Amino acid sequence: MNPELLAKAKSLGFSDQQIACLTGRKEEEVRALRKQYGLAPSYRLVDTCAAEFEAYTPYYYSSYDRGDDEVRSSDKRKVMILGGGPNRIGQGIEFDYCCVHAAFALKEDGFETLMVNSNPETVSTDYDTSDRLYFEPLTLEDVLNIYEREKCWGAIAQFGGQTPLNLALGLQKNGVNIIGTSPQDIEIAEDRKLFAAMLRKLAIPQPPNGIATSEAEALAVAKELGYPVLVRPSFVLGGRAMQIVYSDSDLQRYMRFAVEASPERPVLVDQFLEDATEVDVDCIADVGGCSRPGQGQIVIGALLEHIEFAGVHSGDAAMVLPPHTLSPKVVQVIRDYTHAMARELNVLGLMNVQYAVKGETVYVLEVNPRASRTVPFVSKAIGIPLAKLAAKVMAGRSLAELGFTKEVWPKNWAVKESVFPFNRFHGQDILLSPEMRSTGEVMGLDAELGIAYAKSQMAAGGPLPLSGRVFMSVSDAHKEDLVEIARQFAQLGFELIATSGTAAALENAGLKVERVFKLSAGRPNSLDLLKNREIQLVINTPTGQTPRADEVKIRTTAVYTNTPIMTTISGAKAALLGITALRNSGYGVKTLQEYHY
Amino acid sequence: MPKRTDIHSVLIIGAGPIIIGQACEFDYSGTQACKALKEEGYRVVLVNSNPATIMTDPEFADRTYIEPITPECLEKVIVRELEEMKRLDAKGKLVLLPTLGGQTALNTAMALFRGGALERHGVEMIGANARAIERGEDRQVFKDLMMSIGLDVPVSGTAHSLEECRAVAEKIGRFPLIIRPAFTLGGTGGGIAYNRDEFDEIAKRGLELSPVSEVLIEESLLGWKEFEMEVMRDRMDNCVIICSIENFDPMGVHTGDSITVAPIQTLTDKEYQIMRDASFAVIRAVGVETGGSNIQFAVNPDNGRMVIIEMNPRVSRSSALASKATGFPIAKIAAKLAVGYCLDEIPNDITRETPASFEPTIDYVVTKVPRFAFEKFPQADPTLNTQMKSVGEAMAIGRTFKESLQKALRSLETGRFGLGGDGRPWRIGDKVYADRDILPRDIISRKLSVPNAERVFFIRHALRAGFTVEEIFQLTKIDRWFLAQIKEIVDFEEVLARSRAS
Repeated sequence: MNPELLAKAKSLGFSDQQIACLTGRKEEEVRALRKQYGLAPSYRLVDTCAAEFEAYTPYYYSSYDRGDDEVRSSDKRKVMILGGGPNRIGQGIEFDYCCVHAAFALKEDGFETLMVNSNPETVSTDYDTSDRLYFEPLTLEDVLNIYEREKCWGAIAQFGGQTPLNLALGLQKNGVNIIGTSPQDIEIAEDRKLFAAMLRKLAIPQPPNGIATSEAEALAVAKELGYPVLVRPSFVLGGRAMQIVYSDSDLQRYMRFAVEASPERPVLVDQFLEDATEVDVDCIADVGGCSRPGQGQIVIGALLEHIEFAGVHSGDAAMVLPPHTLSPKVVQVIRDYTHAMARELNVLGLMNVQYAVKGETVYVLEVNPRASRTVPFVSKAIGIPLAKLAAKVMAGRSLAELGFTKEVWPKNWAVKESVFPFNRFHGQDILLSPEMRSTGEVMGLDAELGIAYAKSQMAAGGPLPLSGRVFMSVSDAHKEDLVEIARQFAQLGFELIATSGTAAALENAGLKVERVFKLSAGRPNSLDLLKNREIQLVINTPTGQTPRADEVKIRTTAVYTNTPIMTTISGAKAALLGITALRNSGYGVKTLQEYHY
Repeated sequence: MPKRTDIHSVLIIGAGPIIIGQACEFDYSGTQACKALKEEGYRVVLVNSNPATIMTDPEFADRTYIEPITPECLEKVIVRELEEMKRLDAKGKLVLLPTLGGQTALNTAMALFRGGALERHGVEMIGANARAIERGEDRQVFKDLMMSIGLDVPVSGTAHSLEECRAVAEKIGRFPLIIRPAFTLGGTGGGIAYNRDEFDEIAKRGLELSPVSEVLIEESLLGWKEFEMEVMRDRMDNCVIICSIENFDPMGVHTGDSITVAPIQTLTDKEYQIMRDASFAVIRAVGVETGGSNIQFAVNPDNGRMVIIEMNPRVSRSSALASKATGFPIAKIAAKLAVGYCLDEIPNDITRETPASFEPTIDYVVTKVPRFAFEKFPQADPTLNTQMKSVGEAMAIGRTFKESLQKALRSLETGRFGLGGDGRPWRIGDKVYADRDILPRDIISRKLSVPNAERVFFIRHALRAGFTVEEIFQLTKIDRWFLAQIKEIVDFEEVLARSRAS
């Protein structure tokens, strides 16, 4: 390929990857060819004035128009921070928060910071967040070009979520110094086999599991493990195509239509721990920066207990910090496991672990040696800027130097609630699942747990009612639990409404219930009442694995009429707690500064 | 004019949780505002329920309330802060700046105003007054105002019940009709109706979702070109255009879901000047005394008729894009204007010698491409319409539209490395095609005529399948200039592919 052709392709915006595919080469070969021809992008300034005046803020973009390069030279040690790219479900503002903190922290420590990101909605792409801003795509090609042009000392790939993490190995291969936990150790946490071997070595249990490369294998594995099982493709982001499967026929459907299984891309089958409690842990460690084993520190930032049962994606679940139902023994086991894994993985920076607790047994579900979605929430709940500390640790400081060596157990309650876009996607069922669908989160803070929960609901746009009518329709499995909840609602003066099955269960327990028609049985039915705003709260748990059309209608109607709805028993209990607290004492407001300083 | 000295504390309302139509751009604007106001020595009080934001980090405001953004909660904050200011023996007032936290902040501030809380506690609103907000947001009032200053608007009417809706539809006389609920975010509950059944359904939903049970029913401008102007004004009535933005997708697709390009590419200078003058006339008529606004225009490609679609009297999603596209920090400047400065008194950080009253000039092309997440909502309809469905966006800068488009497409994190030719397969329904396959014409036609998340890629498929630019224009109404640019990329893809053989 001649230089003119290559130069023309680059000026039309073709990536090395495209040129490679079209001309039958590898991406590396195109890069080598570009270097051979001296074809590198020039970096130009965004300066508000089309170069009429001198610009003082280094905000750059690349171009292959062969114009002058405007990058200013500097002798300072430079650290590149890789941002998260466009927001999507599973990758949002939390990672931008972490990147911004990394920039602030390293600036404080005397480094020159370079931010690379392509998302215009962010604080990280503000020209005064970092010392130099590169508004560029987060691909191997574009990032390497900048790294080489700027002759950086290192790069941080663990703060921008999955996007930069996917680039880490490739960047390292091309000579980039990825600071923090090494990409090889991160690989151990992400590779199923290596991860299982590590857990065996540390004697940490994980739910029984297997892999399948075909439908027949999947059925065999499921038979051995026993239903329900959690299935997912081996290469996923944000819980994509993850499902809880309850029967052979569901599993067959999943294998046929939801995934493409192959020997290279097997499907993972885990035993699903029913009614387990899930716990997220965020910790920070400087073990990886120490020369000898046993040195360095690991400090837990927080344990977050999920309100919904295990199986709901951790990005969608409501969480309570500190945990409110775990025994001291379980908390200690979680602490021990976390420390053991952080040490084994030589963590340098942040690590997130997801656990499932069933009875007193603690299982590890997943480990991510990087900044997690919950880092900003935890930082605000405990009053310690974890991301900032982690960035400094990654660049060489020790936790002891930074004065963060003790786990903080907050005196107040912090509740995280997720916010969903269901009102945009008409007809979509709203049940929570292993597939993440929330777009954002809110925090409720208070000295009392019930109030903190009530505030989280208010903030998420579904304030809990203090009086009125509660419509209940739950599966048989939940009827027993519901009786107690219903009794307390009745004691608070709420009127109970239910369809025949649920009503019978409540009446048997001696509760007064107003019956309402099922959708197909007559009018007015629950939908009519919802639309007329005659119901203030809905408690509706799914009756089967394949939700009945009726239920979906009830749930979606609740969304359109903005009626608060609880689709799990634990959610209903939390609502009750919140309503009781609000009715007893009302709520006040308090600043973060007062909580922590 | 210098900054106001009668202000002691400024209350800023954030945007709350990230939702479709209101993403982290408001963390960006709120953070800038906090910094700018602290810099001026004011005590900053912030309320935002979203813990994942930078602005709620304790060092950005003097008082950070991570509390629900509801009128009731805000009033509690106001009462508490007034007591605190008394304790501090503060000389000066508490004021409320509601224009930096998106629709959530604006709606909450308006609820406080309407409920009398602001008057009760003596809290002044700065940045935009309540009357200006009402004029900007109430669609009928806005339209009447536009006509009174000689600007054109789509034929329409407002309605508060289904009967009224039907009467308005009757008056306009033909389908399709656009239904827009008043005071909802990102057009929630709006839509395009092609027949009576759809009309009834969307109108009902819109009435339910509008907090004031009001919808606007409009003549359809489907296929018209759409433009946006980011304008700022100070209290001495200086006005500047920060950025002009052209929507690649014509009217009918929400701007948040449309590919957008800055600066405007397909207007003549004369047309642009007319639009600039109109923008100033709009911001003056609505009465946004200080700060930024976003004004949307539609232009009929057949006869050049220009109409005003709407205006947001606040910092919006487009403001974040305009700030990044030009380097001009709209939110920061808006905060400074709100406390009394004028544009010519605020220096531009980038050049240091020019003031903020200089309109930015750009010598490059910026392209923003939306990011969707339909795979997460398989039961939902993936057609794009006037209700925003994208969950994020990527922006890229290049010296030409072609360069910036391809950079933006490879920024999307969808596994693609540009417009095509990257070896990745195409999934269409249950079928999978290889990257360089020629797709069936009927599929291409359908994907071009009904707006969807992958439409830009189908322009490539269409060109490769032998569609002419004119045919693609007829199916998409995307301006021929954009199509011709894409054709250059596609033609060169063939040149590269041929070089493989040689």
